[in-house]
This record gives sequence, C-alpha cells and structure tokens, in this order.
Amino acid sequence: MDTFIQLTIDALTLGSVYALIALGYTLVYGVLKLLNFAHGDVFMVGSFAGFGTFQVLGGASPKVPLWLFLTLVTLAAMAVCAALGVAIERFAYRPLRDAPRIAPLISALGVSFFLSNSMQLLFGAQPRNYDTFDIHNAVLYTSGVDIGNVHMPLLRIITIAAALVLMVALWFLVNRTRTGKAMRATSFDREAASMMGIDIDRVIVFTFVLGSALAGAAGVFFALRVPTTVSIGFVAGLKGFTAAVIGGIGSIPGAMAGGIILGCAESYSQGYISTKWSDLIVFSILVAFMIFRPQGLLGRADIRKV
Amino acid sequence: MSDSTPHSSHIPAEGPAVGQDEWVARHAERRIMREGLLGTVEERLRLVPWWAWLVLFLAAFSLLPVFEHSGYVRRVAFDTVLYMLLALGLNVVVGWGGLLDLGYVAFYGIGAYAYAILDSTKFGYHLPTLVSVPLVVVIGAVAGLLLGLPSRRLSGDYLAIVTLFFLQLFQTITTNGDSAFGHDLTGGPNGILNVDPFHLFGHDLAVEHGGVFAVSYLYVALGFFAVVFVALRFVNESRTGRAWRSLREDPLAAEAMGMPVNWLKLMSFSFGAAVAALTGTLFAALNASVFPLTFYFVLLITVYTMVILGGAGSQAGVVAGALIIGPLLELLRDASKSRVIFFVTLVGALALASRRSRAMALVALSTLVLGFVVHAIAGAIHSDWVAGEHQPGFAGFADHWVVAPAHLASWITPTTYLGVIAAALLCTLLRGLPRLVALVPTLYLGAFVWENVMLAKPEPARFIVLGLILICLMILRPNGLLGERRVEIV
Amino acid sequence: MKKAIVLALAVVAVSVAAASAQGSQTAAARYAASGFNCSKTITLPFVTPITGGAGFLGTEQSTWARLAIAQIAPQLHLKVKLSLGDTPVEQGPAPAQALAQKYVGDPSVLIVLGPSTSGAVAASSKTYFQAKLAHISPSATRTDLTQGPVAQREATPAFFRVVPGDYIQGPSDAMFMINHLHVKKVVIMDFQEPYSTGLAAAVDATLKAHGVSTIRMSAPNTTTDYSAYVTKVPSDADIVFFPTQKPGDANTFAQQLIEQGKKAKVFGGDGSNDPSQFKVAGSYVSNFAPDITGIKSDAAVIAAWKKANPGKQVGSFGPPSYGATQVALNAISIACKAGHGFATRASVFHSVKKVRIKNWILGGSFRFSTKTNDPLNAKFYIFQIQSNGSYKLVG
Repeated sequence: MDTFIQLTIDALTLGSVYALIALGYTLVYGVLKLLNFAHGDVFMVGSFAGFGTFQVLGGASPKVPLWLFLTLVTLAAMAVCAALGVAIERFAYRPLRDAPRIAPLISALGVSFFLSNSMQLLFGAQPRNYDTFDIHNAVLYTSGVDIGNVHMPLLRIITIAAALVLMVALWFLVNRTRTGKAMRATSFDREAASMMGIDIDRVIVFTFVLGSALAGAAGVFFALRVPTTVSIGFVAGLKGFTAAVIGGIGSIPGAMAGGIILGCAESYSQGYISTKWSDLIVFSILVAFMIFRPQGLLGRADIRKV
Repeated sequence: MSDSTPHSSHIPAEGPAVGQDEWVARHAERRIMREGLLGTVEERLRLVPWWAWLVLFLAAFSLLPVFEHSGYVRRVAFDTVLYMLLALGLNVVVGWGGLLDLGYVAFYGIGAYAYAILDSTKFGYHLPTLVSVPLVVVIGAVAGLLLGLPSRRLSGDYLAIVTLFFLQLFQTITTNGDSAFGHDLTGGPNGILNVDPFHLFGHDLAVEHGGVFAVSYLYVALGFFAVVFVALRFVNESRTGRAWRSLREDPLAAEAMGMPVNWLKLMSFSFGAAVAALTGTLFAALNASVFPLTFYFVLLITVYTMVILGGAGSQAGVVAGALIIGPLLELLRDASKSRVIFFVTLVGALALASRRSRAMALVALSTLVLGFVVHAIAGAIHSDWVAGEHQPGFAGFADHWVVAPAHLASWITPTTYLGVIAAALLCTLLRGLPRLVALVPTLYLGAFVWENVMLAKPEPARFIVLGLILICLMILRPNGLLGERRVEIV
Repeated sequence: MKKAIVLALAVVAVSVAAASAQGSQTAAARYAASGFNCSKTITLPFVTPITGGAGFLGTEQSTWARLAIAQIAPQLHLKVKLSLGDTPVEQGPAPAQALAQKYVGDPSVLIVLGPSTSGAVAASSKTYFQAKLAHISPSATRTDLTQGPVAQREATPAFFRVVPGDYIQGPSDAMFMINHLHVKKVVIMDFQEPYSTGLAAAVDATLKAHGVSTIRMSAPNTTTDYSAYVTKVPSDADIVFFPTQKPGDANTFAQQLIEQGKKAKVFGGDGSNDPSQFKVAGSYVSNFAPDITGIKSDAAVIAAWKKANPGKQVGSFGPPSYGATQVALNAISIACKAGHGFATRASVFHSVKKVRIKNWILGGSFRFSTKTNDPLNAKFYIFQIQSNGSYKLVG
C-alpha cells in the first residue's frame, strides 16, 4: 500500500508537469493546427531562466521569503518563455501561415534544433542544479504531510498546487474572458472568426504567450527537483505530445487529463512492471490510442468537410 | 527575372500530326528562355539525358580517390555517399509521397542492426554478403510496411507524431535490448561489435589498410547509389510514380479518381525504408560495429536538411543537397575552414543580392569599411583586443577585418550572440533604407560572433547552422534548390 | 533564379575546394616509413567530449592538457600544438572513428591523447593501432579495454591509460563496503551504458562472492527523475551503488532517499566525483585520484592552473589529463633522442612504456605495468561527503 501511495505522489508530480507542457501544445494546435516541435525546448529555456533568477536572488540562501522567492522564479521563467514563444511565432511560423502544412512543421523542427544547440553554445552541457535541498536546511524536503508511512514533502505539494492554480487560471482565461472566447472561435474556424472581426494575429500571439508561459512554469517545477540540462527538451516534448494526444489534442481539459494519465502510466509501470521498459509501455499506449482513437479521450473526432 | 523571349518552337513543317495534341507539341514555345549565351547553354543542357548526368557524376566522384590520397577525405566522401543514399530514400517518402516521416533513420538503424546480427560474432551467423544484403533490404521494406499500416488513416500531423515515436521506440528497444526477457538481442548501449566486412567475389573487403580508409568501400557505395538512383527513377516514371504525384498534390481527388491511396502510402514508406536499410548495411560493414545512439534525432534533422535544401521531389536535388551539407558539416569542425566558409558564403550572398539592387553593393562596401575601422580602433585601444588566434594560411585574410580578442570575457558570448539574433530579426522587420542601414552593423556583428563565439564550440555551431538553414529555407524557398514550387490545395 | 542557383553552387564548390585544399594530405605510405623532424611543430590531438551530455569532462580535461603543454613542452625542447577533437557522447562512436581517420592522415601527429570515453576507445583503437599511433587516455576506465582474453579485448596494444581500470574500482569499492561499512544488502544501479554496466557487474560479483545480498536496477541514461527507483529501494538496504557519470543525478538520488525516509546511502563511482554538484552529506564517492590540492609537490601546478583558469575549481578529471600529456610528451622526447632528432609513430609507440615520472601529479611516482598498458599499482580512493560538503578520505 505504501508503494502505491508513494507511486501516486510521484505520478501526480510528474503528471502536473506533463499537463502544463501538453496544454501548450494543445492551445497552439487548436488555433494554428500546427504541432509546435519547439515547445519542448521552450520548456528547457524556462528551466534555465528559472535557474538564472534563482542564482540572482541568492541561490540556496534566498534574500527574500521563501514563498516570494519561488513565485518570482516561476514568474521570471514564464515571462522569458512568453517572450521567446512570441518571437518564434512571429519569425518562424507567421510567414508560413498560408504555406502547405508540412512547411511550419519542418520550420518547427529547425527551431527546436536551433534552440537546443544555441543554449548549449551559450551555457554549456553541464547540468544546472537548483539546490532546493539546501534552502533553509532542507525544509522543502523534510517538512510536509505524512500519509500513513509515506512522507509527502512540501516541495511536491507546492509543485502540484501551483500547477493546479495555473490550470485553473488558464481555464478561467479561456472560458470566461473575451480573448479566450476569441481563441476558441479561432480554433473552431479561423476564416469565419476573422470575418467576424477577430484580429487573428493578436489571438495567435496571445495563444503562444499562454502556452509558452505554461511551459516556462513547467520548466521551473521540473527543475526544482532534478538537475536540468540543455538536452531535456526533446524527450519532454515527446512526453508532452503523448499527454496531449492521449487527452485529445485541441481540448484543454483533455490535455490536463492526458498529463495526469501519462504521469500515472509512467510511474506505475516503473514501479510495478519494470523500470527499463516503462518508456516502451508508455509509447505503446500512445500508439494504441493513435490507431484506435486518434481523437484521444476528450477530443472531437476530426471531420473533414470536402 | 532576366529578359525573356519566346523561343522558336519545333512545330513539324507538315502541320500537326494525327494523334498528337498540338498544344502539348508546342509546349517548348511556352517556356521562357533566357537570352544570349546562357540561354543557349541552358537549352542545350536540358537536352542532355538524365543518365548522362548520372554517368558523368559517377565518373567524377570515382576519380576523387585518384587525386586525394588522404584517408580522411576519402572517408568523408564515403559518408557523403551514404548521406546521398539516405536522401534518395527520404525523397521517396517526403518528396514523392508527401508524407512527413520523422522516423526515417530508424529504418537506417534497422538495416544496420539486421546486418550486424546476420553477419557478426554476436550470434555466430556469418551469412554471405550476397545473401544478407538483399535479405536486409527485404527486412527494411517489411518494416516500412509495418510502420505504414497503423499510419494509413492518419493525416500529416498525426503521421509525424507516430513516426517520431517509432524512432523513439527503436532507440528504446536497441538500448535495452541486452536484457529482453533474459536474452541479449541488440547488445544494448554497447552495441554490436565485430561486424563482418563485405565479402565479394571471394575477397573480404578490408575496411582499412594500415589504418587508412580503404577505397573499395567508396566504390561499393557508389555502385549501390547508381543502382538505387536508376531504380527509383524508373519507379518514379512508372504508374506508381504518377500515382504518388497525384496523391501528394491532392489526396482527396486521388482517392476520388480511384487511386489506392492507402496502398500507395504503404509503398512509399516501404521503398524509403528499403533504401535506408541498404544504406544501413554499408554503414555497419564499414564501421564494423553498430550503436544505438547514431540513429537518432540529430541524424534525422541532418538528412531532412539535405532533402529540403536540395528540393524534395527531385532526385538530382536531394543528391545536390547531400553533396553540400555532408562535407559542410565535416568542414565546420575545423576553425580555419569554418572561417573560410563563412566569408565565402557572406561574400557570395552579398554578390547575389547586389545583382538585384545596387544598394546591397553599397551595404557590402560599408560593411567592409566598418570592419577595417573597428579593427583599427580596437587595436589602438588595447592590443589584447585583436590578439586572438590568427588563422594560418589562406584563412588569414580576414585577420585585419574581424576583431578577435585574446581573452573573451564571459558576458560577451551570450550578449553578442543574442544581440546578433535580435539585430537580424530586426532587419527582417524593417523595410527600405532603415533596413539597409541596420544591415551593416548586423553583418559585422555576425562576423564577430562567428569568429569568437561559434568557432570556439564547433559542435553546437554546426547544428545551429543546420537549424538556421532549415528555418530560412522553409520561409524563403521551400522548394529548395531544384524542387518545384508546390501549392497545397485545401 | 536558376542562374542564381548555378552561381550559388559554384560558390559553394569553390568554397569547399578552397577550404579543403588547405588540408591536402600525402600518401599513406609516406608517413609510416620516414621520420618526423622533431624541431617542427607537433600536433597533439586530444579526443574528448567537449559538447553534449559529458561536455564538462572534455572542457575540464582540455584546460589541464593545455597547461601541461605550456609547462612541459619547452622543457623538452618540443613545439607542440593541441588539437581538440570533440566526441559528444550522444552521437555514439561515429565522431571518434571520423577523428581517428583525420589524425591518422595528418603526418604531424605522432601520438594521440584520449579518447576519454571508453566507447570512443573501443570504436577507434583498431584504426590507431593499424597506423601505429599510440593513444593515451586519462579517463577511459572500462575493464574490457585491456582485460580479458586477447581476442575479446575492446582496445588494442596501442591503447594506454594513466588511471586504473574499473576492474580495480569495482572490487575495491565492494571490499570497502564489506570491510568498513559492513553491508548486508546493497542496491546496484546501472544506466544502460558501458561505464556503469561494467562497474555495476564488477561490484555485484564481488559482493555476491562475499555473501552480501544485492538487488539490481537499471535506468535509462536519460532519466532525471529517480522517484520510482527510490521507491523500490528496500527500507533495509544499506547502500545504493550509483555509478553515474552525472554527479547531479547522484545528488538528486541521495536527496530523494532522504525525502522518502530510506536509510540507504549513495555510493558513487569516479563519474560522480564533483564537490560542486554532489554534496549530500553521508554519501560516498570513489575516485582514482586523491584530492591533489593536498599533495605538496603539486602546489606550483595548481597555482599555474588557477591563474590560467580564473574562477574555476580543481576537479578530479583534469589532473590525470595533465599526467597523460606529460607521458605523451616524454614519449615523444625519448623517441626523438633515440632517433637523433627524428621520430616516427612506431618509435613513439615503443617509447611510451619506457616513460617514468618521479613527481606524478596524482601522488607518488608513475610507471606502466609490464604486463598491461595500465599504470602499475594504481589504486582507488574512497571519500565520504561531510556535512559542509567537503570530501574526506576514508579508504
């Protein structure tokens, strides 16, 4: 039973990070029908931006209260990633808006490659550790909640809670504001939306800001617990994809659900089945979904009108 | 575009022939020819049959080892031929079938591993080369078919994801294959070693002579290349090729016309995979070993860049793409050669742009002047600022133009790198005179960044160049060098 | 536009021709036979990962190699130029093989430093051996490179290393655990790559032979979050043997062990030796070198290194590179003297084993074992991380 609880905690922590990345993919796909391969690398840049802010604010001996410290780090990463996302959209995707579908996909591959290698050029290949363990004598690890025999450290509670807050904020933004409504309209039918007077360019920029900011936050949450390097972008991108597709690409609650499911699948298969083959199992689940239910759990079946 | 006059056509003197459409017969009239000597030359070249070009190319390539004795250069030539083969295979899937296959290098790996399993000390099989190579090609074709099967119903984006996952799957299986249910199938991360070399006509093709790359493999590779090129050409000219073209241009109309769309997709996957598997055998035989990490994302992007640069859909184009990118990647490892390449490209691009607008010539001139001025000033302020590593020989020409400090403060690298990116992006946003004015410092800053930042770390710099080529190609010229401009019918 | 294409292709062709014209080499037969004039500049290539996941290794090692050349080459009246060959671990063996070809074809190369990673050695040793190029590695510790039946060895007789192999590290770590830590149950991890699988197997065998119960776990090399593995560590395990090449991962694992309340401590191999990244108190680290800042005779070298690399810490992978360069330069010097100012690759190869160094940078003196190409009487040192993050020698 203890193993199950521990694995579930791991699943939720992993899943919340995956959900945030998946949300970015889903948002962009919904509006542009483009799979943003560079998203994983935006996530990586976010973790590095958070690292930079971390060091500036004092590293393991923060100069400000702990809650403010973590909030500032997350916000800084979100801001940097939002700017990066906007730049990528403006220069790599906007010129290709009317090109064949294959063109922005390949451009995205190029951007992903460019980003990860640029970061390597600038910052080198060694891992960067946030050193959260050393803050205030490991308070983030030792204090927390005890469920039975299993200890759930404060750090994980914060991560899961923060991810939840961001997801709720996103839901609110998308469903209860005008820009969110414009976004939903654009993702439904871009031409009709523009005919209705919606400024498509602004909506798309807004989408990228949201998606990339979430990726930045995910980067910080990820890096708070494990060291980050410049090469995590590719695998993180794949996992984010998987989560988005499982949940139904284009659907926001789907991305959240997909992230949690993916986290559970990974955690339980690592814990109960085999650590070596957990990746294989996860990908097999994805392939099964793609073959039998390509629209995912909560997505709409794509009906192409002729 | 240069001046054009309709060229006199080849209408037969006795009027249009029976059974021949006059409009089709007069198509030469409608081609816009260039004036003068270049026009005549181009028209003559167009008459040369494709196989003559192939023979010429093969002859030129075969003569390379005669003039170049360095094992290293021959090895690079061999690697380039491998790239050309891979590009040809990917061209079938992406260029002719119009399917974005992101798992292509997994077939390369399957071919290499299959050959390694069939011809090495791992399991003790030592099948004769003439049996194992065709067998591996068949295995590759079957693998392509199997990958294509679940992908039949998937459209472009989903297909891309599934194939990308297939690549990741291949990577996971080969890395963990040393303990699959207690059996060591793929050697895991250590790979498979002691793979047999090719055994042709009773002789083992030794891989090296005295440590230097043996030329025989280059000729075997060229032979494979010729066979594949010709075979694919015939396939493209056949019904299947025409069906692929219709599938690529408009899948819905093709289906409505009764084309077996799913079967065509499977065929293109299969052909591409078969070519990749064949290349895999060459790779495994030469390196005498296979490891999982070779067949991964980096190689995928490299092959894609070659195909896109050359022009997806044109065989000659993708070969040209491989010819450019393959040696380029190798040359960029070396600082002095990288510098030469940068400057030649810069000068070439400026020269090309100057032909269109006189203003660009002015930009080129101002950049030149700016460079000398800044270098002189920097040298006057502190001799250390220009005392960096001077490139020997031919590459020393820019020593007085670009500023190369002896010691680079750590903040300079990220600042100038991000600065040049921002400046370049700004130039794309501006128009007219401000753009020309902004270009000058941007170009000079670019030279500085190349010299000091990127040459310091050639590995990521090479791949940054690849990524940039991909992005710029898709935006500026998606049909590459020799491809046709496509319009997607939605 | 077609004209532009033709022009562009011509430009590229010219550029390629110009660039490659500089590197024209002469026939293979020539370099083996004739001698190289020792008064000319010798190129000393160093094959090590400078970028990619293990990039910190090459970056550190290259600074020490440079220092060695700057200090030792003038003393031996040699003009030496360092040429770095990058082998990012993500790309497998292909870069090592291509670089081997490149250096074999360069007549000013008489001896090679590295390859630093065992995989690169396995991939390129044959090429070097056939060209009679000795290659001295400061960090390739895989057992199978020099041990085992001759036909199965992954490296050739041209391969030398200045640090002991894992066949010493594995049993010595295991014996420390048995004798000093009195372990009953040990979890052994590997990361599905050659370094860790070899070391894990060696430790496993020794522990089992002494009656300690072992549990094996295997993680993909790209793992960053070890929560699930930590969950599977039994609560009564004493030690988790963690032969990673990323010290940050050892740190993470140790932190997560504490997080989940497990009593096991992390025992890292030489790949996790980095006080700036692995600092959880109570963990153990083994390394082939003691902390050289404690060796008196190295004070001058350390000072010179710190001056050339301001703001950087002395790591553990760097000093053996200094040593390897020292051996290489001395071998060239011996060969040049014996050949009256001319040296060939074969003569340098045969001189390597004659090198004796009195004040070895890793302490004591240095010579190669007569039986293998490994150092004589090398041992591994075991450290424990203290509460202030420093490494204390305990075994």
